[in-house]
Amino acid sequence: MAETTVRLRLNQQQLELIDNSIKAGESAGREELIHRALREFAAAHLPSVADRKKS
Amino acid sequence: MTTSPGRNTVHELTIEPGTGKALELRRGQVLRIEQTSGRQCADFNCFNLHDYKEFFHTGRTRHLHGLHPTKGDFLWSAPPRERPMMAIIEDTVGTNDVLYPRCSGFLFEHHYGLAVHTNCHDIQAEAQREFGLTPDDVHDSFNFFMHTGVDAAGRPFIAKNTAKRGDYVELLALIDVLAIPNVCGADVMMTSDFELKPLKLTVFEGTDQDWSRVSEPPRLKNQRSPSQFKVKNIKADRELYRDPSYRPEFTNVPLQISELEVKLTDEELEWIERLKVTGKYGESDAEVLRYVFFTWWIGEFMHGPKHAAST
Repeated sequence: MAETTVRLRLNQQQLELIDNSIKAGESAGREELIHRALREFAAAHLPSVADRKKS
Repeated sequence: MTTSPGRNTVHELTIEPGTGKALELRRGQVLRIEQTSGRQCADFNCFNLHDYKEFFHTGRTRHLHGLHPTKGDFLWSAPPRERPMMAIIEDTVGTNDVLYPRCSGFLFEHHYGLAVHTNCHDIQAEAQREFGLTPDDVHDSFNFFMHTGVDAAGRPFIAKNTAKRGDYVELLALIDVLAIPNVCGADVMMTSDFELKPLKLTVFEGTDQDWSRVSEPPRLKNQRSPSQFKVKNIKADRELYRDPSYRPEFTNVPLQISELEVKLTDEELEWIERLKVTGKYGESDAEVLRYVFFTWWIGEFMHGPKHAAST
C-alpha cells in the first residue's frame, strides 16, 4: 500500500494536548491518534466514507 | 415583607427610577430583584467584597452561558480570577442579556442629544461611590429582564420587555459580594418599554434548598488570586511609567514548532484531498490534517461550550 508522509507543524502545547490524550488511553501514540481523528472526521463529513462505514 | 417560605428576610427596599443601591451580601445570602409593575430592566454589577479588583465579567459569563444566562447559570469574575461569584437560582422570565454594554451619558448625548440623562453607568457609579469606588470602577453589567437578540446580519437588537409585575430573579452569593442593582435609566429605548419603574430588592438568608439549586463549579489552578501575581499591590497613581527592572516572563515562550510526521494511505490522502477542495479546512494537506485533528478533538474531549464551527 502506497503511503504519503505529511508533516504537521505543532508547538509544544499542541503536542502536550496530544500526549495527554494518549496518557488518557485514547490512543497508543501520536500518529495513531491523528489517524483516528481523520477517520472519524471523514466519516462524519464525507458522505461516501460514512456510507462505507455503515455497510 | 416579601414572603419566601423557609427563608429569613435580612433587608428589603425599593429602588426608584434613576437610582441604584450597593448592597453587602455575605456568602449564602440571596438577592431577589423583583418587578413592581413589570417591564423594567435591572442593570447589575458585583464585586468581591474583600477585593474590588475581582468583579463580575460579562465576557466570561457570555462565553460560558451564552447571550441570555438564566436559572442554573453563574455570574463569573474576570480573568484571571474566573470564579463563580453568584448563582442564578430563580428566574421567572428568562429574558436576560449580557450582550449590550451598560448605557452611558455619552450614548444619550450622541444618539439622542440629551447631555444630562439617567444612564446605567452613572447610576452604578453613584451607587458604588458609597463604598469608595470611582466611575472608572464600573464594569459592563448583567442586564436582567432585558429582552435582546441578534438578527441574521449579526446585529444585536432590543425587543419588547416581557417581565410582569411580581416577576423576579434570585441570585445566591457564592462569595461575599458588593451587589449593585440599578433601575436601568434608558427611558427612550425599548429596554424598559419606554417607562422607568421602581424595582424591589430583597435580601434573604439562603437555605439548604437554595444551595441545592447550584451545580458544582470547576475549581482549577488557573483561577488565580493576587498572591500569585508578580505585582501584588494595586497601582495607586494614574500616570503610567516603566519599571526598569521588568523582564518579560510570558508563559511557555518561546513556542517551539516541531514537525510530527504522519504517514497517510492513499485512501486517507483522498479524504484529505476532498476536504481540501471545499476550501474550508486549509490550503495544504498538513493544514487540513491539523484542522481536522483539532476540530475532532474539540468535539470529542473539550469541556464547556464548543467554539469550533461544526462545518
